Amino acid sequence: MTRCYYRSILLCLAFALWQHAVSAKEAIVVVVNSANPIEQMTRSEVIDLFMGKYVAFPDGEKAVPVDLDGEQPIKQQFYHQLVGRSLASINAYWSRLRFTGRVKPSIQKNTEQQVVQYITNNNDAIGYIPISKLTKQLKVVYQLNE
Amino acid sequence: MNKSALVFRLAIVVIFAASAVGFLSTLIFYRITYLNELALSKTKLTQLHSTISPTASIATYLEEQEMVTEVVNGLLTNDIVKGVDLVSPSLKITSPLYEKTKDTLEFKIFSPFEPDRVVGTLSITPNLVEITKRANKISFDNVFIIGIQTAIVTLIIIIVAYVVVTRPIIQIADRLHHITPGTKKRVRIPVNHKHSELGSLVVDINLLLDKTAEQIKQERNLRDEVERLSRHFRTLFEQSTSPIILTEPKGNILLYNEAFLHLLKKLDIPFKRSYGPYLRELFIDQALVDDCVEMAFANDEIASGEFQLINNNQEIIWVQCIITASITDAYNEHHQITLHDISKRKQQLEQLDKTANTDKLTQLLNRRGGEQKINALIQSKTPFALLLLDLNKFKPINDIHGHETGDAILIHVASQLTKGMRRRDILSRWGGDEFIIVLPNIPATELKDIADKIIALIEAPLFIPQLDSSLSVTASIGATLFPDDQTSLKALLECADQAMYWSKEKQRTNPQKCFSLYHDWLAMRREQS
Repeated sequence: MTRCYYRSILLCLAFALWQHAVSAKEAIVVVVNSANPIEQMTRSEVIDLFMGKYVAFPDGEKAVPVDLDGEQPIKQQFYHQLVGRSLASINAYWSRLRFTGRVKPSIQKNTEQQVVQYITNNNDAIGYIPISKLTKQLKVVYQLNE
Repeated sequence: MNKSALVFRLAIVVIFAASAVGFLSTLIFYRITYLNELALSKTKLTQLHSTISPTASIATYLEEQEMVTEVVNGLLTNDIVKGVDLVSPSLKITSPLYEKTKDTLEFKIFSPFEPDRVVGTLSITPNLVEITKRANKISFDNVFIIGIQTAIVTLIIIIVAYVVVTRPIIQIADRLHHITPGTKKRVRIPVNHKHSELGSLVVDINLLLDKTAEQIKQERNLRDEVERLSRHFRTLFEQSTSPIILTEPKGNILLYNEAFLHLLKKLDIPFKRSYGPYLRELFIDQALVDDCVEMAFANDEIASGEFQLINNNQEIIWVQCIITASITDAYNEHHQITLHDISKRKQQLEQLDKTANTDKLTQLLNRRGGEQKINALIQSKTPFALLLLDLNKFKPINDIHGHETGDAILIHVASQLTKGMRRRDILSRWGGDEFIIVLPNIPATELKDIADKIIALIEAPLFIPQLDSSLSVTASIGATLFPDDQTSLKALLECADQAMYWSKEKQRTNPQKCFSLYHDWLAMRREQS
């Protein structure tokens, strides 16, 4: 009987996790401060900023990419949808560039809320958030698709 | 070593052929090796590219000069890479030895994050010198092996050819060289070649030698025979007492013997190259010779005849001449002329003829001789008068004074008659005391005078030493005319006899009437009857 109980608990947990994953599959948008003159960005422009190729917006203004730390699902989803790679692969990429002086985005926030907060306060910042976290102070420049 | 020797030639041909084949195969092999190496190098370069592709992709994507340089230098460490050129929109790294050639490989560099975004181009030029060097080394090894192979095969071929073919041929040639055709020496079959082509060659050679020897023997015999014959013929020709002459149809003398020169000397005629066809200029009656030869040759016969030769000396030379026409092997016509001196025989015959026709005692023609001559006149229808003369009372002289006296009288009469005759007249002792006188072409009217003259001549007295006195004879003559009286000798003789007896009859009464014509006797008979 007890074995049967544990099994039902495990099943419940798996269901909960699945539910969580579905909720995480929410669309992700790339946003900047609404004061930023940039209106739209291409996928390549977004990649170039987040993968360290450029440190400026296409119009030449300085850009500060804001990333999430750790291995949060939203971060996983972002990189997967943007460049089709796992976080491990992305980390390997950065460690390969360690000796070139190039670094991954220096601004790392713990939560999506902190990201929103940072971009709201910095005009040159750029970051990614689930579309549900969008505020009036933010401007969507690129929307990631499935 | 003899440069045309078989082994030498064979060696040259084999070495040359082997070298040529080796050279060609080396060339082809080199080319194939080179192309293979080139293809291999391209494969290697592609593999190299695959190896550095992720790094190159990142480096180019970021246009990170140091990284790109690292990639380029990494590639250059390979000895099959000659030069590298990496180009991105704002970066171009080119190695010092890089140049774009047809063998240069170009790879597009894609962004590491966007598989369809080209971020740069990587060009790699293969190191042809290195590839060539490798191909050369492989080829050299190959040439070395082919060379050794060629040398060994050549050596084996030469040795085998020498042992199996050349040496036996040389032996055969050597033996054959020392064999004189016609001798009994033969070529021996080389060892182990009893059933090979060389063996049958030797058998055939020996057969040929046998045949040659046989032919040489036959030829030698034939030559000996010919020599012997020609010696005999030469002896016959040279020693012949009869002149033998070979001429061309026009008369040029080709060949003559000593006897011919002797004949010319005898005739006192100088030697010439030609005396006309069949030596006709040497004959007296050339027309006769021409006729004889023409007739004979027209009938494909040998011309022969007896002819008198022109002679500047006194002697009369008669020859029997035989003229043969012959065609030589070279289709030239020749005349062979043989002359037999028959003068002596001719003379003897004439002498014999003369003896047979002459009266021994009086040296006049005898009856036989007379008949011949008269018949000849009759045949030629020459008119003549025939006188039959008979001595009167001759038998008593013989009886009384003996035969010797009688003979002396007859000789005397004959000589007296001869005195009165012309050259063309015929005088003959017909027998006993009978004489016939034939006078050609004489008018009948003159006969009486001639008869009187003859009688007068006969009646001339003859001194007989034994009797120590002179004797004189009378004669009776009867004459007849040809062709007036008769046309045959026999009949004419009968007529003359008749006339002569009439004379004798008349003489009894009148000794002066000692001559009568048959014609007159006939007339007298017609009157009486």
